[in-house]
Amino acid sequence: MSIVLKGLSKTFGQFPAVKKVELEIPTGDFVALLGPSGSGKTTLLRLIAGLEGPNSGEILFNGEDFTAKSVKERKVGFVFQHYALFKHMTIFDNIAFGLKVRPRKHRPSKEAINSKVEELLKLVQLEGLGERYPSQLSGGQRQRVALARALAVEPEVLLLDEPFGALDAKVRQELRGWLRELHQKLNITTVFVTHDQEEAMEMADTVVVMNNGRIEQTGSPENVYENPVTPFVYSFLGRVNEFRGNSLENYTPYGVDKPFSDKEVGYIRPHEIGLSRTFVNNSYPAEVSHVNKVGAAVRIELRRLDTDDLFEAELSAEKYNIMGGLKRGDQLFAEFQNLVIFNGNTLRNSEFELPPSNLVLRPEEVRS
Amino acid sequence: MKSELVSRQKKQSTASITKWVLIGSALSFLGIFILVPLIAVFTEALKKGVELYFLALTEPEALSAIKLTMITAAIAVPLNTLFGLIAAWAITKFEFKGKNMLITLIDIPFAVSPVIAGLVFVLLFGAQGVFGPLLAAYNIKIIFAVPGIVIATIFITFPFVVRELIPIMQEQGSEEELAALTLGASGWQMFRKVTLPNIKWGVLYGVILCNARAMGEFGAVSVVSGHIRGLTNTLPLHVEILYNEYNFTAAFACASLLAILALFTLFLKTIVEKAGG
Repeated sequence: MSIVLKGLSKTFGQFPAVKKVELEIPTGDFVALLGPSGSGKTTLLRLIAGLEGPNSGEILFNGEDFTAKSVKERKVGFVFQHYALFKHMTIFDNIAFGLKVRPRKHRPSKEAINSKVEELLKLVQLEGLGERYPSQLSGGQRQRVALARALAVEPEVLLLDEPFGALDAKVRQELRGWLRELHQKLNITTVFVTHDQEEAMEMADTVVVMNNGRIEQTGSPENVYENPVTPFVYSFLGRVNEFRGNSLENYTPYGVDKPFSDKEVGYIRPHEIGLSRTFVNNSYPAEVSHVNKVGAAVRIELRRLDTDDLFEAELSAEKYNIMGGLKRGDQLFAEFQNLVIFNGNTLRNSEFELPPSNLVLRPEEVRS
Repeated sequence: MKSELVSRQKKQSTASITKWVLIGSALSFLGIFILVPLIAVFTEALKKGVELYFLALTEPEALSAIKLTMITAAIAVPLNTLFGLIAAWAITKFEFKGKNMLITLIDIPFAVSPVIAGLVFVLLFGAQGVFGPLLAAYNIKIIFAVPGIVIATIFITFPFVVRELIPIMQEQGSEEELAALTLGASGWQMFRKVTLPNIKWGVLYGVILCNARAMGEFGAVSVVSGHIRGLTNTLPLHVEILYNEYNFTAAFACASLLAILALFTLFLKTIVEKAGG
């Protein structure tokens, strides 16, 4: 089922939680609503589910206006952060609930319910646990039961509110891959809320970045990561260095010498910074203050000698070895070729008549 | 080293003295104010033999008082359970203006002296009261009759179930209920299959306390009852009348019934608490 949100707004008392949101989700898409707490992502999800009513705007399911429809009529599967399993029912009864509450003429036979529940238990890899109670399961198992319960009514949309937020890191990692696989198998339009950018990047086909009740950017994980359209998206997705004020003063990357105002901030990701031992054009002297060599990437903290700014660069282990290793106190030259400058919320680079994609997609190079 | 050990022992012994002083005073307080009176009720009641004890309980006026007490409880307790569920639901699941006001109002029966509560009903429904002429015109008697007793009892015992349910329902939140709705349950199915099983022990606990108070209420009922023997006397009122007539054995025999009710209530309460975890 496709979902279209038109000018959707919701206020709680005086507080505007969701402000005029426009969003189109095609059938079968796997969407992450990503944002910090208080960004309105959970409210948006609850609006789609019908758990909250919007103050204005429209919600269309398959092109039909569902704005005024009740939760029951929307037939969405909803998975809560804290599972919301029925404590007093067995796992079997929890999963069967949605089928058992149907009016008699639509209710499947007892045998049909039994086989459906068994099938779902198998799908969520909890065979044989049907007779247990929620309190006897681990967090990860409970969340899988919650998912099976939501899937039992065969919803056309699956909505998940921070589904793995209450789980520990390892279980979370497992369940991410598992949910991704499940989506591929069932191909239900799925929307999940998360504040964890890694989770969003890893699982979703489409990432919707939210801040202050508004959508900042929508796109594929690669696209929002590599071409952020606002400073917020830049700083929220992945690690980023910020330069402002006099750090930008001497910055004339394209031969355009324009003064920068206080409102302007330059962003560059650690892996986009070029490091070399010798001076090259447009490079700045910097001193290594810390080297962190864990895993495939080496993180290097540096201090610019001209402005005293601290920043972080990232090299692959391979490149790091080619450079011959670094230690505290080493002097290098850093290149900020791919620096993207925003003036408030607008891209400053456009003034250099270069589209931002050309700036950020250029592969980083380490000259040694 | 040695002096440290001594001082530690000293500290421990002061701690244990404090402990025993506290336990001792709590126990002796309970003994003097609760256990001794309880024993006194039963010894006084049985002083002149078991035969007289049962005679006092089976005489027509006593039986009529017991009957009226039970009728009153049988009406007041179910009504207050229903009102309690509705009020607790409204308060915990919805946001509305005047919610805090409502919570405060619920506590009024606890805050007001029962005698005042009784008087209010006399002022409303008595012969000289606000609705007096209207009631007289239709020949309905509320004050100095059974309806008055029931109304006063409902007023006094209203908070028990609500007060018990609000914290339980607040703690549980409404996620389970919302989950039921997303799974296609109707409002009634949600209440019956999800809400009620989650709060049933709380409800039962409230009902037990409500019942104990409904049967034992004296002040408010005394004002509205009129003390008509065999007609508008509840058990606590009957005890008072017998006592005022220096019929101590009968008074204590009836009082012992109320005491047994109280003990039984405590017993049930303990069981429910255990079962509800």
